[in-house]
Amino acid sequence: MAFFESKVLPLLQSRCYECHSHEKKIKGGLALDLKTGWQTGGDNGPAIIPGDLVKSHLVQAVRYADPEMEMPPKGKLAASEIEVLEKWVAMGAPDSRVAKVADNKARVIDIEAGKKFWAFQPVRDAKAPAVKNRSWPSNDVDGFILAKLEAAGLTPNADADAYTWLRRVSLDLTGLPPSPQDIARFTADESPQAREHVVDRLLQSKAFGERWARHWLDLTGYADQIGTSNNVFAEHAWRYRDYVIDSFNLDKPFDRFIREQIAGDLLPFTTPQERAANLIATGFLVLGDVEIVAVDKLKMEIDLVDQQVSKVGTAFLGMTLGCVRCHDHKFDPITQRDYYAIAGMFRSTDSTYKTDNGVWSSINACEMPETPEQQSRRTQILAANEAKLKSLQSERTDAEKAKAALEPQIKDATKEAKPALEKKRDELAARIKAINGEVEHAKFFAPIAPKAFAVHDRPKTDDMQITIRGNPYALGDKVKRGLMAVASWGELPPIPANQSGRVQLADWLADSRNPLTARVTVNRIWQKLFGEGLVRSVDYFGVRGELPTHPELLDHLATRFVRGGWSQKQLIRSLVLSRAYRMSSAHNAVAMTKDTDNRLLWRMNRQRLDAEAIRDSMLAISGKLAPANGGPALPLEFPENVTSLSPKAVNPPAFNLKKFRPVQEFERTVYLPVIRTATQPGPAKLRDVFDFTQPAQISGKRAETAVPTQALFLLNSDMLRARATELAQHLTQTESNAGARLEVLWLRVLNRPITSAERDEANQLIESLLADKAWIELSHALLSSNEFLLRL
Amino acid sequence: MKPHSIPRRQFLASAVTGSLLFPGIVQQLLADNADPLAPKQPHFPAKAKRVIFLFMTGGVSHVDTFDPKPALTRDHGKEIKADHPEIKKRPGYERIYLKRPQWEFAKHGQCGTEVSALFQNIAQCVDDIALIRSMHTSHSNHYNATLGMHTGSFAQSRPSIGSWATYGLGTLNRNLPGFVVIAPKQTYAGTQVFASDFLPGAHQGTLVVPGAEPIANVAPRVPASRQQLELAALRQINEEHLASRGTDPLLAARLQTFETAFGMQMAVPDAFDLKQESDATLASYGLQRGQTTGFGWQCLAARRLVERGVRFVELIDTGSSGNWDAHGDMMTHGPLAKNVDQPIAALLRDLKQRGMLDDTLVVWTTEFGRTPFNNTATAKGREHHPWAFSSWFAGGGVKPGIVHGATDEIGLRAVEKPVHVRDFHATILHLMGFDHEKLTYRHAGLDFRLTGVEESHVVKEVLA
Repeated sequence: MAFFESKVLPLLQSRCYECHSHEKKIKGGLALDLKTGWQTGGDNGPAIIPGDLVKSHLVQAVRYADPEMEMPPKGKLAASEIEVLEKWVAMGAPDSRVAKVADNKARVIDIEAGKKFWAFQPVRDAKAPAVKNRSWPSNDVDGFILAKLEAAGLTPNADADAYTWLRRVSLDLTGLPPSPQDIARFTADESPQAREHVVDRLLQSKAFGERWARHWLDLTGYADQIGTSNNVFAEHAWRYRDYVIDSFNLDKPFDRFIREQIAGDLLPFTTPQERAANLIATGFLVLGDVEIVAVDKLKMEIDLVDQQVSKVGTAFLGMTLGCVRCHDHKFDPITQRDYYAIAGMFRSTDSTYKTDNGVWSSINACEMPETPEQQSRRTQILAANEAKLKSLQSERTDAEKAKAALEPQIKDATKEAKPALEKKRDELAARIKAINGEVEHAKFFAPIAPKAFAVHDRPKTDDMQITIRGNPYALGDKVKRGLMAVASWGELPPIPANQSGRVQLADWLADSRNPLTARVTVNRIWQKLFGEGLVRSVDYFGVRGELPTHPELLDHLATRFVRGGWSQKQLIRSLVLSRAYRMSSAHNAVAMTKDTDNRLLWRMNRQRLDAEAIRDSMLAISGKLAPANGGPALPLEFPENVTSLSPKAVNPPAFNLKKFRPVQEFERTVYLPVIRTATQPGPAKLRDVFDFTQPAQISGKRAETAVPTQALFLLNSDMLRARATELAQHLTQTESNAGARLEVLWLRVLNRPITSAERDEANQLIESLLADKAWIELSHALLSSNEFLLRL
Repeated sequence: MKPHSIPRRQFLASAVTGSLLFPGIVQQLLADNADPLAPKQPHFPAKAKRVIFLFMTGGVSHVDTFDPKPALTRDHGKEIKADHPEIKKRPGYERIYLKRPQWEFAKHGQCGTEVSALFQNIAQCVDDIALIRSMHTSHSNHYNATLGMHTGSFAQSRPSIGSWATYGLGTLNRNLPGFVVIAPKQTYAGTQVFASDFLPGAHQGTLVVPGAEPIANVAPRVPASRQQLELAALRQINEEHLASRGTDPLLAARLQTFETAFGMQMAVPDAFDLKQESDATLASYGLQRGQTTGFGWQCLAARRLVERGVRFVELIDTGSSGNWDAHGDMMTHGPLAKNVDQPIAALLRDLKQRGMLDDTLVVWTTEFGRTPFNNTATAKGREHHPWAFSSWFAGGGVKPGIVHGATDEIGLRAVEKPVHVRDFHATILHLMGFDHEKLTYRHAGLDFRLTGVEESHVVKEVLA
């Protein structure tokens, strides 16, 4: 003991405490200022095994035996110092220190204190406050907005004109501008319900789901590609995309939408269609950026679990749960136990399987129930495919025979005749090769029962052990499956035997008592309509996020949302019919000085159209927008778009997009393939130019940049040229004189009548060019204009 | 009225002087608006004003290029043991044997740094190079290691190092993008290697694919006279709109992007127009006159870009196949080295001759090394090796003619002064004038940085 106190302790104090003591830091979880510190050890287990130099990490570390763990990192100890430590360990590491150091681990999370933060407080409905200007509000929403403005001495902007409002609501709800007919109908509708008529028409249009589904897909990491390596196609992913579109169009209650996506496979059902939708919905859990090529499958699976926990955290709770995999949350009252309580549910769920290709895995796909019509249609397609295969195979047999017959002829042929025969043989060989490819393709894509990417519970479900610093081989305590304590009101109901617990997780997320889900959801809807959220950090409601500008309004909306059966359409309807939504986005010098960021909403925020709205609007304006009914986004039916189909290949089947269906040029952007690791393909190119949320990310808010590549796209891309040309053709074909053409052009592109000054300028331009060119240039200029690219 | 006259005159006036397209109010708005690419000062004065980042895809074998290991030749075929991620539980890899390098090493330059015969031209430049032989990384998959080398993150997508550079320094030439990536094909991790991720989109790398139209949509689709008319009309529409909106920085910024785009239509073709180079210069890069592809073209284009004020240029040599991933045969390193060796040496000399090497940092790296062993004594290839590889710096602020760190006798582990990818990044940022712990961006409530949450250190020994 004397040796410890005179030799060892000073050494530990001078050379180790800086990083391994309660007073300073506890790096790697190891504290050396206590006996129990080295006994329990850090991330790698006990630091000292008394008497065993080889197994004692401390000794190995000071000897610099392992380059991954050399201590102290700043420089090796002197040989004499190392000897001291070796001798001490060999003696059995006598340590006289008793636990006197206060066990003040860096930071202990106090859940009860954490619950006091606004986002974890129960949602409390509030009545709209009294306002002075009682004529302004048209519904409850307006009272909350106006009260704050009045308190700050601000007045709301005047109403936007009818054209601006119509364009705004049309773009917000459907991603498409109003047509000249829509404009005429609205401006002629003198009834007090004119706005309601418009809103109801838009909410019932298919275009509504096509737009709002994309907002949701931004939160899922959706792509038509599995993982990020080798362009592996996600051939069933489109079913999830279509499911989301349908869910919005059917106004599926959001609590139901949650349950299906988290635990659809475990939900009861009555019809095959319902079962199919439930299974497809779980694609939410697996259609993100899933790693599938890894030698270490355990690590791969744990990484996927982490992604699932993180996604649930961001999409439904507005929390960054990913951080908590390795340590308690640095700012928010979320512990590692919370993380592993939820992670255990996903660890008990099967998401991937090992394929026959090399080290590759793939996402689970399950067969879906078919309706009798689907079955009979498939039988027909199958028969056609069989016939095609048969004819290909017989053509191949003929070609092979012909080729075989040529060989002896070539051998015996004269010098003059030989080249022609050889050419013929080579042509046959090439044809045989092509047929082989087609046969392989036809076999691979033979119509099978419809499948969806989906998850299911593992045969054996279990709680999960903490992985130390995310290392699946360094395990800590087992954590009982459960919920995030700070947002819970009680214990998790018991998980049925052999179930993962995802049903219970979904029930908790979709419970009216959950303080986060409804708030996060209504805030995202608000943000899409008003440009900024009531909580501006839409994906993060934690301590370091933004505080709500209108907390009572947020809670009022959340309450109404839940009471209204979690109907998104109802909520959207009431928001766009509010007076606040009607305000002009015009500048106001006084208000600007008082509230530059428009936090109190004295005006409407103008927004730049997102990538989809830009492309889709241009198609609608040029008259070329093609209706679509969903279905596979990747044109894998073209053999040239597919590689590596052989079942024996080292790498899995992959896409290599060279050719698109002609109609894809004209379909809405949501239906085009989404690629994770390359620039967006073919007609979807402009996504990259206009701030599309790349599918490796999850984000509820799109960036709104103004960069030169956008201007180049607008100036010089083939797409703009094509739309401008089509629009000009349409104008010249349908209207005979320049005046009428200008009227229509302005109505179609900017959705308002042309002003007289604009008419004069446009006429100047038209006179200075040949007629056919003039209309193209003018259309092109309008389609690149700020006014077109913004929704005011 | 004479056709064309007014719009063209107005337009040309604006293009020449900027006065019409940028009336006072627009200038004012632009000044108020935080321009994400405006030139900025780093944390402390630094030599490197720009970076050329040379990335060799697939995993270059260190023991065949920059890290001589005589013991490998001596003990060729000797069985060893290693708890290596690429062979763990892998059938057929229960036993492993050392494999000798295929190329001879020799000392070069005044400093005497040893380089193999694969890089005979780069070897002539060793007196300008700080070679790091003790690199190591955290992952043995191409995807993760490539992502890590570019973003510091080995799993999730994060902003690329080039995006961090323009975020920190802005750009010097608004007629060109601040961060350019020249790559013939997509490498592992695809566009994620040059993505701005959560940083503002202006910091996204602009992809240049060697060929006739290196940057998309730069070539006007209509004759200049017509484009001018169209731009004049557009300007009129936009200015009227702006006037009706009082003040709106985004509108002004969008007007400016058209001005920049118009400039890019000329600046980009000019930057990539190698016709202006002398025969001697073209020959030094191994280029034929008129050639628009090849690594020589990439290197010369990089020099022309940094000359014009581009902050960060990355050159990627190959795509996610046909690269340095020599599992089957080490001899495939031959043509890959030949592809880059002369152009890289030419680039270093060219920069030096122009006095640009002093303030241009050149970085050469790959995602990981290759195993000094394989599963048979006669195996021709090598496997992925995250434990050790070689990278080097040259130019701005770098101590020339040195070797930093070392691997063990057989090149298995970086044992002396190991440099993790995070340390490598911290050092690059330091050379550009940044404290890597302070160059941060607030996203989702957290302050993110290139080097992440784990500890990382600037490699002081390579600083001049």
